[in-house]
Amino acid sequence: MITSFVPILAVDILGSIAMVIIALLSFYKARRLREMDPDNAVFHYLLWISMGLTIFSVSRSFGHILRQFLILTSNAEAWHAISSYTGSVNTVSFMLVGSITLFFNQSWKINEKILTGRKKLENTHIELMDLNQTLEHKVIERTERLTSSEHKCRRIFEQSLDTIIVTDSEFKIMEINPAGIILTGYTRDEMIMGKMTAGNFFADFSEWEKIHNKIASKEYILNEEAEFLRPDNDSLFVLITGGIDYGAFGCAKTYHFIIKNVNEKRQMERQIAQADKLAALGELSAGVAHEINNPLGIILGYTQLLLKLEPEHKDDLKIIEKHVQNCKTVVSDLLSFSRKGSSELSIIDINKVVDGVVKFLSNHSDFRNIEMSLNPYTEDRLNILGNEQELGQVIINLVINACHAVEGKGNIDITTQRTDQDKILIMVKDNGKGIDKKNLTRIFDPFFTTKPVGQGTGLGLSVGYGIIKRHQGDIRVKSSEGMGTLFTISLPADRTMD
Amino acid sequence: MLKKNPHNIRRFLNFIPAMTIAGLILLPIEVSATQLHASSEGIITHQAGHFFFLFSMVALIFTITGKDLNKQKGWRLIQYSAFFFILWNLDAIFAHFLDNQIYAVKIENISLGKMRIITNNDSSLLAWFYYILKLDHLLCVPAILFLYKGLSFLVDDQKKMMAKKGS
Repeated sequence: MITSFVPILAVDILGSIAMVIIALLSFYKARRLREMDPDNAVFHYLLWISMGLTIFSVSRSFGHILRQFLILTSNAEAWHAISSYTGSVNTVSFMLVGSITLFFNQSWKINEKILTGRKKLENTHIELMDLNQTLEHKVIERTERLTSSEHKCRRIFEQSLDTIIVTDSEFKIMEINPAGIILTGYTRDEMIMGKMTAGNFFADFSEWEKIHNKIASKEYILNEEAEFLRPDNDSLFVLITGGIDYGAFGCAKTYHFIIKNVNEKRQMERQIAQADKLAALGELSAGVAHEINNPLGIILGYTQLLLKLEPEHKDDLKIIEKHVQNCKTVVSDLLSFSRKGSSELSIIDINKVVDGVVKFLSNHSDFRNIEMSLNPYTEDRLNILGNEQELGQVIINLVINACHAVEGKGNIDITTQRTDQDKILIMVKDNGKGIDKKNLTRIFDPFFTTKPVGQGTGLGLSVGYGIIKRHQGDIRVKSSEGMGTLFTISLPADRTMD
Repeated sequence: MLKKNPHNIRRFLNFIPAMTIAGLILLPIEVSATQLHASSEGIITHQAGHFFFLFSMVALIFTITGKDLNKQKGWRLIQYSAFFFILWNLDAIFAHFLDNQIYAVKIENISLGKMRIITNNDSSLLAWFYYILKLDHLLCVPAILFLYKGLSFLVDDQKKMMAKKGS
């Protein structure tokens, strides 16, 4: 049969070219797929198939085009010589494609495993994210609660009016609140950087030792009373409660103390007790003085009558008179102390009274080696309603006591002041030996004296106390051994001139 | 005598192939010479290749269906591609059978535009059948085109999936 060769030729040539182009495009697409998901085994598989088909297409198309060319150019012999080679390449290439294709199932299984693994990984990742988010929320929530709790604790610590102290296991100060800084009088740096211990605050170290021992045995102390000594030598009474904190999360053992300032309360209690005691003594003294005063008057009257009538017994009678006079002075002092006596009151300027006392005493031989300084309040007149003579007596008494305290050599400062509460203060301060702590509560007691027998009656301060109380005033003492004494008289200012 | 040491035994076993190769090269006898192959082996191998390719394409079609991948347009087009490759392989197998195996058909180029198809029994039906078989590119070009389209759709699907994940 003779027929046209053109359709076969055209289909062969064009088809071969199309095969190469489309196979290359397929290969490109398969590469794109693999690039999009390099972990997908199926896409790898498609890439391999495309590559195999491309090799097959190129090899086959090349063979076909070459064959047509050689036959048309009457080189059929040459084609016969190479046809077996191109045929072999074709065979290998489509066998290769066939082999790759048969791996599809395996590729698919591998891919499924990968996908399953990836899915599991994603689920695990999501679970982990959830857990992480929950954890983060919890951490934030706990942190907020912790911050809030810490803030509350800090506020309590900072705002507390009682002193809060945290010490280490050796009682060195680690933390102290602002109230503690005010109470102790030390700066934070002095306490923390200076490694002060809790024992440093105590006026009497034996008190601290007692507390220390109690903590060691019972692990806590409750409302233990102690006296603190501030750096300015002021002392104050405190109540201490404390205990051990063994620490959590690896923190070291610490001690916590809450210290309450009860100084004013204790002083008030002592003053009330003192006032009650002195009032009772005053009543007693008044009774005794009243009963003794009349017989003393009679004895003195008859003694003086006998002096006129019996001059031969003059010496003996003079001795009786002298001792009766002494007794009358004591009785008079007792009456002054008991506030039973009456005196004429007028408006007097305290500065003038004090000035007079200083002028009077500075000429006395006992004050030769004493430096007396007067610091009067000059902004206003210090008028009070009182008895000039009695008040002068009180001040003289205090200054003489100060003179004895400095033992003839030292400083005595007398200061007057007016307070915002309309009180006039007279302060007598010396730098003498001070008063023993145990005597402080007894110095206003009648007949109490530390002077040798015969040198003092022990009525000076008692009388002064009585006079000041009669003037609606108050007298206080502050003293520490070796540091001197300060007597402060407080009297109500007269407001009639305002 | 060899000691019963596993290392020595292994070394001895490894030595056997080397000794065999050396013997074959150094002592050539007729039995161990390379076997001669008939020229028909080439076409049979080629036909076997076509059968193998055809079989792999059938397997691919069934695997895609078995895994329900034919619901995706891309894989469905790849199935079509496999189908056309099957047809093309059948076409090639028949053509090679006629002209290279049983020599039932022969082509002679008469001129640039004409050719003569010579069949054994002058069967024009066989000649026309062979003529159609020679237009095999009408099968393999659509096959590769379907593959390209299938891959293009898979690329598009993948892009959409990535965009969805990204959003």
